[in-house]
Amino acid sequence: MTMQSPFTPSTSGTPACSDHLPVRAGLGLKPQHFTEILATCPDLGFFEIHAENYLVAGGPFHHALRRIRDHYPLSIHGVGLSIGADGPLDVAHLDRLAALLDRYQPQSFSEHLAWSTHGGLFFNDLLPLPYELSTLNRVCDHIDQTQEHLQRRILLENPATYLEFAASTLDEATFITEIIRRTGCGLLLDVNNAYISGVNHHRDPQAYIAALPLAAVEEIHLAGFAEDLDAAGAPLLIDTHGAPIAATVWELYAFTLDRLGPTPTLIERDNNIPSLAVLIAEARYAEELIRQSQRDQTEVAA
Amino acid sequence: MSNNTLTSTTLSAAALALALGSALALSTAPAVGAEMEKCFGVALKGKNDCAAGPGTTCAGTSKVDDQSNSWKHVPKGSCEKTASSTSPTGFGQLMAFTAKKKS
Amino acid sequence: MNDQALFAAALLDPDAPCPDGLTTWNGSDPARRFAVYRNNVIVSLIDALADTFPVTLELVGEAFFRAMAGIFVRRTPPRSTLLVDYGSGLPTFIERFEPAHPVPYLADVARLEMLRVRAFHAADADPLTLDQIAQALTDPERLPALRVTPHPSLGILSSRYAVVALWAAHQGLGALSDVDPYCPETALVVRAGLEVQVIALPPGGDTLITGFATGLTLGEAAAQATASHEDFDLTAHLTRLLRFGALSSLSLPTEIC
Repeated sequence: MTMQSPFTPSTSGTPACSDHLPVRAGLGLKPQHFTEILATCPDLGFFEIHAENYLVAGGPFHHALRRIRDHYPLSIHGVGLSIGADGPLDVAHLDRLAALLDRYQPQSFSEHLAWSTHGGLFFNDLLPLPYELSTLNRVCDHIDQTQEHLQRRILLENPATYLEFAASTLDEATFITEIIRRTGCGLLLDVNNAYISGVNHHRDPQAYIAALPLAAVEEIHLAGFAEDLDAAGAPLLIDTHGAPIAATVWELYAFTLDRLGPTPTLIERDNNIPSLAVLIAEARYAEELIRQSQRDQTEVAA
Repeated sequence: MSNNTLTSTTLSAAALALALGSALALSTAPAVGAEMEKCFGVALKGKNDCAAGPGTTCAGTSKVDDQSNSWKHVPKGSCEKTASSTSPTGFGQLMAFTAKKKS
Repeated sequence: MNDQALFAAALLDPDAPCPDGLTTWNGSDPARRFAVYRNNVIVSLIDALADTFPVTLELVGEAFFRAMAGIFVRRTPPRSTLLVDYGSGLPTFIERFEPAHPVPYLADVARLEMLRVRAFHAADADPLTLDQIAQALTDPERLPALRVTPHPSLGILSSRYAVVALWAAHQGLGALSDVDPYCPETALVVRAGLEVQVIALPPGGDTLITGFATGLTLGEAAAQATASHEDFDLTAHLTRLLRFGALSSLSLPTEIC
């Protein structure tokens, strides 16, 4: 099979319409931190926003983001495109995303391997997909369409899931590998999601990560989870982004950096949002691990 | 063009010039008397100046919603402080309500 | 129905069985795991409504609000991925929701809160400048025919209840027990700069602003507002609108100036 996408990762130079995120840690941008960020300009690698929260006409969100964008690289993370939906993509939504990307010129745009809309309704959650051929074809078509519409390479994020489908014929890593091979999109590796899905489906998260096409990873996400139990009393982890990053996820992150080398890393916190200082401390720790992986690589090279 | 009598009625240029001219002067003056502010015209801002509304999420939740269909709640918030004899129903009255089930 | 249609329908209906074809590694009942998705959808949307309607929530308490919002969410899930507008149908829902009837002003307080969120995210526009007004005053004969454009963020709510006082009491401005909720009030909501402002308008203010918004001339809107209430004070109303940046342009629509 040949790669048909015009968005095949290039081996020379950088993509035409974007720079890369710096190889540092960044934070999810939250309105409650706007004032402090603008007043103190904390030393962070980048900020990330949810695209849908900025698809509004004007007001304080755009006012703050314009000023923050002047000082920091930006990642725009979509949560509503519903790339896994069995219906067609919402072209009006793609148009709105294109306008937002044009306005803020982010270094990265990412979406999820999931669906969140059906029959004109929006569920505000990332819903799971069966990993089989017809789903693969549909997801690849939607990613091709998105990359063409937005005129850029997108990153696709691996999901946290609570269920599996009897219809699945491929494992998740194989499914993602095939998407990336066919569409030329990049991978946003959510290490917390990898850990959660590993626990929830009783699989080894390290083996999962090792099986992914790591050369395509351009960004890592880290977040916290909550613990629950399934009907048999087995652990069921919920991807809440509402707690500090767990020690086990930090370990898996270090394992990932070992394989991957230094990679831009986002600290995600969307619930129980603490003070900016608490999140900056997590970002500092991530940067310490990034530096460590840099040193390790240098030693190996020497 | 035929307008109805209401909309074709217009205030005179002289009256408008007086009102708009006065407004121009007054709007730049320091805020009017405290008593007037107390009644009308004072601008109020929300707590923490936050009126942003909701954001999207790409995360799940550990909060659990009781998805029962039976309705058992009564208003038990700050509205109780405004309860008055003019209140048509009064508070604390038990209301029975069952959400219609989807057929 | 296809798989996603069945999955979607079961998300919103707590009585629907867990969809077929779902598996778990340990053979445990997939319904328990499906409930995580169901819960994520409902709770995140209830949370979204709680963010838009904080005073509405405080008025009836969290348990009542969340239970009421849960019914609204299941009946009226969002049709847009832009959640900032989700909940615009909640005030009308509240009006028809029998258990909320002991708090008759609840729907209008919700309307005021929705206007605040709309104003927050509305398009930016410069308010009328003093120079523009001074310029208009140099040719008084043209004043009656001027069109006045309200600021894009402007919203107005005429209520049979004391919506502004009720809302203000929840911002720490005045004691709620001192508010007579049955005193009618008109609220003006506007965001000329970065902060949404809520202003109580004296009688006639809604007529004046609605006149501007519906394309009446300055002369026509002022005449209607004057006729609407015997104490209508045009100077005071215009002063207030200018002070809060509630107007964004004056123009002669048909002539080239």
